[in-house]
Amino acid sequence: MELEARHEYREELAQLERRALDGLQLVVASLDRTVEAVRHQDIELAELVIADDDVIDGRYLEIHQAILTLLATQAPVATDLRLIAALLHVMKNIERMGDQCVNIAKLIPIAGHQPPADERVVGNLVTMGNAIRAQIRQAKRAFAERDVEMARDLVRQDDVVDNLNRECFQLAIEIGDDHDRREWAMTMMLVARALERIGDNAVDIGEQVAFVVTGLFREFEDASHPGGVVEPQRSP
Amino acid sequence: MNYEPSELNVADPEERTTPRIPGRAESPTPSPASPGGAERTSRVEALHATRRVRLERLNAYYGDNHAVRDLDLTFEPGHVTAIIGPSGCGKSTMVRCVNRMHEEIPGARSEGRVLLDDVDLHGARVDVVAVRRLVGMVFQKANPFPTMSIFDNVAAGLRFVGTSRDEVTDRVSAALEDAGLWSEVQGRLSNPGMSLSGGQQQRLCIARALAVEPEVLLMDEPCSALDPVATLKIEELIGQLKEKVTIAVVTHNMQQAGRVADTTAFMLDGELVEVGPTDKMFTNPDDDRTEQYVTGKFG
Repeated sequence: MELEARHEYREELAQLERRALDGLQLVVASLDRTVEAVRHQDIELAELVIADDDVIDGRYLEIHQAILTLLATQAPVATDLRLIAALLHVMKNIERMGDQCVNIAKLIPIAGHQPPADERVVGNLVTMGNAIRAQIRQAKRAFAERDVEMARDLVRQDDVVDNLNRECFQLAIEIGDDHDRREWAMTMMLVARALERIGDNAVDIGEQVAFVVTGLFREFEDASHPGGVVEPQRSP
Repeated sequence: MNYEPSELNVADPEERTTPRIPGRAESPTPSPASPGGAERTSRVEALHATRRVRLERLNAYYGDNHAVRDLDLTFEPGHVTAIIGPSGCGKSTMVRCVNRMHEEIPGARSEGRVLLDDVDLHGARVDVVAVRRLVGMVFQKANPFPTMSIFDNVAAGLRFVGTSRDEVTDRVSAALEDAGLWSEVQGRLSNPGMSLSGGQQQRLCIARALAVEPEVLLMDEPCSALDPVATLKIEELIGQLKEKVTIAVVTHNMQQAGRVADTTAFMLDGELVEVGPTDKMFTNPDDDRTEQYVTGKFG
């Protein structure tokens, strides 16, 4: 009974997943550069981040097309169908993460060539960046290994990032009266906000892991329903 | 429709105590004293699928071969139930037990109960001809009577149960209408049934099954010999007919099950592995074997 049927299709599906999850590696590379650009307030490096986002967008289009082809030609069902639906979400999250890196990169020139940078704020943002980097890598591993517990743990890590974001806000408030410093601090708040959103995207990927494994989609945490379960809406 | 309470029984006045299927509550013709067809002219009310088929611990054998094992399954009225499973899993045998065709094969036998509402169709005193009128069957390959015209193909079953000539004409056109074939054949009813295309022949067979106003329609691979367009027409038809008759479809085509069935049952090695809402069976089945089968890992 256990004979290997649909060999090519299985291979295609596995390849599709690898290519999609490798997109997370592209995000990690982009994030690393972004954090470096923040650390050194490096405008040239920021421009490189913006230019390289095309690679992530290209991956998004590639996976999107491959998924359409697979749906049209192979009619996947059950776990396969859930995997494909999840990959579509994951790829969208990857694309959003890349865009957030671009958003950050565009903020760096606004702060100018010799910005009145505050060591503690920059340090905070770098710590955030590193925490998010770990989140992305963990999301990738949780997906590849179909590990729901590891995926759920992303929520705990995201709390750390959220706290760093609040700290950054506090540091910005306490930055003093100097106009330029205040303006710089405001810009870095936007950087923190964009980083925090990347962390949220990693949690979203974790939710897709749970969906692939269990067949049920539930948000791990929902800001509008803290601790509660949101039931799917039924069309009338 | 309503049918005589005695319709399922052997025509023996002593058998009044035998199981009876009650007619519809609103049946205008309760006439229990009429064993023949005298009251049948009242069949003008619209049909609605109301009959539930329940298989209880059904076992079927071909000699020593135990083809269906302890199967419990219900075909709900107003629903299409698809039965999927690899070749030889017993799905055709199972539906052939419902209208008692299985027992026609030498050496074949079955055990357990097949209930139409609360009447056991396998009951000792139930008339097998009546069963087949109530439980129609459509097969993989369209099988119109080769020497008969389109009209006679549909009328054949009606004449067999003794319907009057005028009513036959009405019922043939109604059945062809219900089978979605009327507009394609109305001008040439006297042409041979075999002159139709494959898809039309299959709809002719469906019309023939519908003409005797069955309560249940069993379809065994009804589209496997048809091209995609003819297949879609039959599927469309199944969607319309399920309001009128309780339908069970055996199919190898899982997309077809996905398109037509409200409920899907998966059989393997003579056993029912899993039954559930079709969308669940194809997105998140409970049983690993179902998962393996629907994703094409075996079968």
